[in-house]
Amino acid sequence: MRKSLITLPALAALLLAACGTTPPTPAAPTQPPAPTEAPAAPTEAPAAPTEAPAGKIGKICQVTDVGGIDDKSFNQTAWAGAQQVAKEFGAEARYLESQQQTDYEKNINEFLASNCDLIVTVGFLLGDATKAAAEANPNQKFQILDFTYDPPIPNVWGQVYATDQGAFLAGYVAAAVSKTGKVGTFGGINIPPVTDFMIGFEQGVKYYNQKNNANVQVLGWDSAKGDGLFTGNFESTDDGRRMGETLMDEGADVIMPVAGPVGLGTAAAILERGGAYLIGVDSDWYESAPEYKSIVLTSVLKRLDVSVVEAARAIADGTFSGGTKVATLANNGVGIAPFHDLDAIVPQKVKDDLPGIIQGIIDGTIKTKP
Amino acid sequence: MAPVLELRNITKRFPGVLANDRISLTLEQNEIHALLGENGAGKSTLMNILYGLYQPDEGEIIVRGRPIKIHSPSDAIRAGIGMVHQHFMLVPVLTVAENVMLGDEMLTAGVFLDRRGAAQRIRDLSKQYGLEVDPDAYVKDLPVGVQQRVEIIKLLFRNADILILDEPTAVLTPQEVNDLFKVIRSLVDQGKSLIFITHKLKEVLATADRITVLRAGRVVGSTTPAQTTEASLAAMMVGREVSLEVEKARAKPGEVVLSLEHLEVLDDRLNVAVDDVTLEVRAGEILGVAGVQGNGQTELVEVITGLRRPVSGSIHILGHDVTGASPRRITELGVAHVPEDRQRDGLVLSYPVADNIALQEYYKPPFAKGVVIDEQAIQKEAARLVQQFDVRTPSVQTPAAALSGGNQQKVIVARELSRPVKLLVASQPTRGLDVGSIEYIHQQIVRKRDEGAAVLLISSELDEILALSDRIAVMYRGRVVAVVDAETATKEYLGLLMAGADPATTPAPERRQRVEVVT
Amino acid sequence: MAESVLREVIPPVTEARHRSLWQRAWEAIQLPALALLTAFLVGGFIIALSDFKVLEALADTTSRLNAIGYILLVMTVAVLVGGTAFSRRPEIILSRLRFVGNVGQARWFGVVSAVLTIGAVIGLLVVIGFGPVLWLAWNAVTSAYGALLEGSLGNPLQIVAALSSGDARAIGLAFYPISESLVASTPYIFAGLAVALGFRCGLFNIGAEGQLFIGALTSVFVGYAITGLPAVVHIPLALGAGALGGAIWGLVPGLLKARVGAHEVINTIMMNYIAFRLSEWLLNGPMKRPGAVPVSPFIAESAQLPRLFPDPIRFHLGFFIALGVAAFIWWFLFKSRWGFEIRTVGANPNAARYAGMNIAFNIILAMCMSGALAGLAGANEVLGVNYNLANAFSSGYGFDSIALALLGRSHPLGVVLAGLLFGTLRSGGTRMQNVAQIPIDIIIVIQALVIAFMAAPAIIRAIYRIVKPGEGEVVFTRGWGR
Repeated sequence: MRKSLITLPALAALLLAACGTTPPTPAAPTQPPAPTEAPAAPTEAPAAPTEAPAGKIGKICQVTDVGGIDDKSFNQTAWAGAQQVAKEFGAEARYLESQQQTDYEKNINEFLASNCDLIVTVGFLLGDATKAAAEANPNQKFQILDFTYDPPIPNVWGQVYATDQGAFLAGYVAAAVSKTGKVGTFGGINIPPVTDFMIGFEQGVKYYNQKNNANVQVLGWDSAKGDGLFTGNFESTDDGRRMGETLMDEGADVIMPVAGPVGLGTAAAILERGGAYLIGVDSDWYESAPEYKSIVLTSVLKRLDVSVVEAARAIADGTFSGGTKVATLANNGVGIAPFHDLDAIVPQKVKDDLPGIIQGIIDGTIKTKP
Repeated sequence: MAPVLELRNITKRFPGVLANDRISLTLEQNEIHALLGENGAGKSTLMNILYGLYQPDEGEIIVRGRPIKIHSPSDAIRAGIGMVHQHFMLVPVLTVAENVMLGDEMLTAGVFLDRRGAAQRIRDLSKQYGLEVDPDAYVKDLPVGVQQRVEIIKLLFRNADILILDEPTAVLTPQEVNDLFKVIRSLVDQGKSLIFITHKLKEVLATADRITVLRAGRVVGSTTPAQTTEASLAAMMVGREVSLEVEKARAKPGEVVLSLEHLEVLDDRLNVAVDDVTLEVRAGEILGVAGVQGNGQTELVEVITGLRRPVSGSIHILGHDVTGASPRRITELGVAHVPEDRQRDGLVLSYPVADNIALQEYYKPPFAKGVVIDEQAIQKEAARLVQQFDVRTPSVQTPAAALSGGNQQKVIVARELSRPVKLLVASQPTRGLDVGSIEYIHQQIVRKRDEGAAVLLISSELDEILALSDRIAVMYRGRVVAVVDAETATKEYLGLLMAGADPATTPAPERRQRVEVVT
Repeated sequence: MAESVLREVIPPVTEARHRSLWQRAWEAIQLPALALLTAFLVGGFIIALSDFKVLEALADTTSRLNAIGYILLVMTVAVLVGGTAFSRRPEIILSRLRFVGNVGQARWFGVVSAVLTIGAVIGLLVVIGFGPVLWLAWNAVTSAYGALLEGSLGNPLQIVAALSSGDARAIGLAFYPISESLVASTPYIFAGLAVALGFRCGLFNIGAEGQLFIGALTSVFVGYAITGLPAVVHIPLALGAGALGGAIWGLVPGLLKARVGAHEVINTIMMNYIAFRLSEWLLNGPMKRPGAVPVSPFIAESAQLPRLFPDPIRFHLGFFIALGVAAFIWWFLFKSRWGFEIRTVGANPNAARYAGMNIAFNIILAMCMSGALAGLAGANEVLGVNYNLANAFSSGYGFDSIALALLGRSHPLGVVLAGLLFGTLRSGGTRMQNVAQIPIDIIIVIQALVIAFMAAPAIIRAIYRIVKPGEGEVVFTRGWGR
């Protein structure tokens, strides 16, 4: 009882940023679905770079939020990145789990006394504590994932994700796969971290229509009105099931739920009824929710592990700087997962289109937001 | 012939107490051996040793000439020793046969319960020993007396031939007691041997072949009914002369203290428990309420003391209408209540004696100053009352749970009678107590009457009612069927009324002999 | 389970005279202490068995076992089983074996044989070749618990060095672990008192967690919404708001229990859910700070419980408030007539009714006070440590405090001690995680084991062969002679 009671509010908070999915091991970084040759470079770095001495990365330390290190979501993905840093640079990787709000400051303090070359904090809940610690210790480098500061803090790498870019690709694929000419999406709460997915998805579908002279409709989101379908929470798989059924009743045959574990209810509804596919978010659901393998068309990925490695590499190269870093298709920080078992149902033409679209998004010729 | 059971120099110490001090005892074949003693004399400890619940520190147990060690009840059963506890160990929602089989299941084909076979054996046993029981009845539906028979059958079913009955009559009605004695006799006649633990003198004299008296953990004497009398047994038990008759003067009734008019009360199951009762109790008299238990006495007491609300009718105490008033209001009018179930209602067992003494008046001086409890004052008063009422306790800080039943009751009596009392409601005031305690509590009740209090005495012991009361009301099925003068009442007459005989057609008894001391 | 736990929670008043203070103190703490020891032992096994190196060595050693090794292994198991049996019930075995008639010294035999058994088992394991495994396991456990101690109480060498250097910052850092332990203990003390007070009235308040959330919500609201007050007014006001919020949350199940007999366990659990969802909604809506994150605004500085040392030491006034409240609760329970009533209702409601006490009122009062205490726990966290409220602000103080109240035997002093213990464990867990890389979950496992052992004291009594106090009917056989 204890576990569930405590994790529920915690999870909800965590998921507000529209993340958190379910099961497994993102450890082995999945092969990038749409490889690009674009160099890994921060897209924008408005903040004054800290002086970057000859870098070394001997120790990387991660403070989790209350989800814990094995949350099958952000913390776990970020930890996979830290472990990769450990392997690549021969560094030591450490983590401290936060169990509640008071632990954030305490855990950061513990690491401040442990000679960490980079302290990675995960999620907006650590925003206040990271800021305070960073300001008190200007020589310590921090990276905060899925959060950033305005104005920027010179020694904090604030990592955010252009999920609309990944969702755009997913929308394009969904539109191509749909037989009914209708695809659906819904969110947890109407906040930007959630709606970015939905906007990108919608724009991807529209782009497909435009390019292929089709008329695939998006149910559940309308950028013009700025509103759509929301469950109002990030826990209730029942709500997810109901949403999925409603969307299927309306004719949608590809559905992207942007509400963490709520989506599992949708997956269950699809699996039961058949005739529709699911698009996962955050991590590759084909791996994290293998019971739904047969219906996961693809997933919109937020590569926190890539971001962590990138920050570590920046330290090693002496190019670390504070400020807002946006993970994009260009730097591989967002993307879509492979089609796995459903590879066959995606038309070859669509697969061939994708590299071009990615390039278009990267060079700005294709807009992922209206 | 060697005795079937012999205990040699059994000694058992508990921290601070020598519970059994070199007790030796023999039980012959076909014998009813009564073990007599006050509460706390060491009877139960001795029997628990025999039954494997305790290990003796010293001494030997010899069964049919062979010394044995008994480490658990199953060892005891194996040695043919069976025990019926004071509190039955039955599962109410199972049938008689299932209860009897429990722990010693008869099986068919190695897995299935052989209910039919067990039921047949139970029928055979009941026939053989005159223990009438329906094996298919549910235990919860059976009267207490029959439940006790089930316990005995359980032992016979396991082939026990040394039976220990611990206070078997404490929970029975007079009729059931007679039935039990018949059963006991038939058991012994057919080869069983029996140890009978009690503190009731009359029963011992009526049934036992031999009597051993324990006091303070030691054997103080052994005798037979033919060689002794009630008075000398009582003296042996208590260690001094005990007066078995209550000495009291004729009542001088004064004003009406308690008046009940057309009272109707429901019990917990919403059945009518008290049906149109109208009664008066006057200052300076004891009104005894006789009746077989469960005829509305409990509810009557609860409604008078504010623990239950009547459906209709009225209650007046000293002219105040207290119908449906709170217990606190009624207590403050000068009502003392010795409750029927002392451990359930009368005491907080985990509290020290001192706090139990303060239980009714903790909130006012001298026990409390404002909101602060004055522990010093409580302990001082408790020490005084412990002295005055002769409560046997190591200190006033001892938890009430550690006291014997008699001393627990004395704590209640001390608390209730130390206040200025206008009305004393005493419900089963001596149930389960030993002679010494009974004598003392009876004296206190009479003293309160003589001081001018009205006393309502409820008891299922007819002897007690007859000994104390000035007038006797008989309750049957919630109604007061008769109020008779105690002078003229006899046990037989009351017994008939209690059993539901119509008072109009029941011949009134001859004038009864009674001891009367004019003071 | 509720009743059996309650029976154990409130120990019978033991006899005051005839026993020395030390005896009584030992009696009071032996069960909790042994429960804790056992929990740590089991925790040690878990640490050892989840250590990769230990497992590797174990597999390695096992694979190299030869025939003689297997025979010795079987012998080891035999010694273990035989020795355990003998040390548990030596008197029975001795008497069955007919060695002696009088087995008065059986307890001695038991202790000696237990020690010998453990020694023999370790010796045999070493002979077979499990020495390295045992050594690794020992290292894993000692480094974990060593880090736990250092992280919670500090490093003595560092403290001495800091004190002799006289450097304020070094002293601060040396005492940082202890200060963190006290900071972590404070909410435990409040919440433990809440549950303990409920226990004393015979109520099982599972709702401390929800009351804590509500207390945090109300106090943070007063903390940020009202500005311009001096601290001497603002702090009590915010604390009071927290207590009031918790009290209201306790009042509802209290009323339901007192008026319609609805079981408080069910209703407090339900109230928890309401509190969780309510705080989520408030933090996502009306109480959200400007911006996207669901966290409340910071409270005004005038509402912050003053910190008593410079950063990073977070030790604040709340700890002393907790001690003061514990002292008040002690006085309330054992010295005031309100407390007498509450305890009587808890110990025997029938007798309480008989004695004219208002049971419904006392149940409501106890639930309100319990809720207020839990609310103070929440307020303390918000006003003393976090200065704002996010959903993840409690890791389950309200639930841990049930264990804590059990461990503290529902006595305010016991609760304070148990609260210090839990806070110390929690605080030290961080260092253990950092240095020994043992997940902090082991602390939760230990706490859970403590609950289990306290709820089933028969296990502890059986393991350590403790006679239940009061067992063996303490009767006073003095007869009736005058």
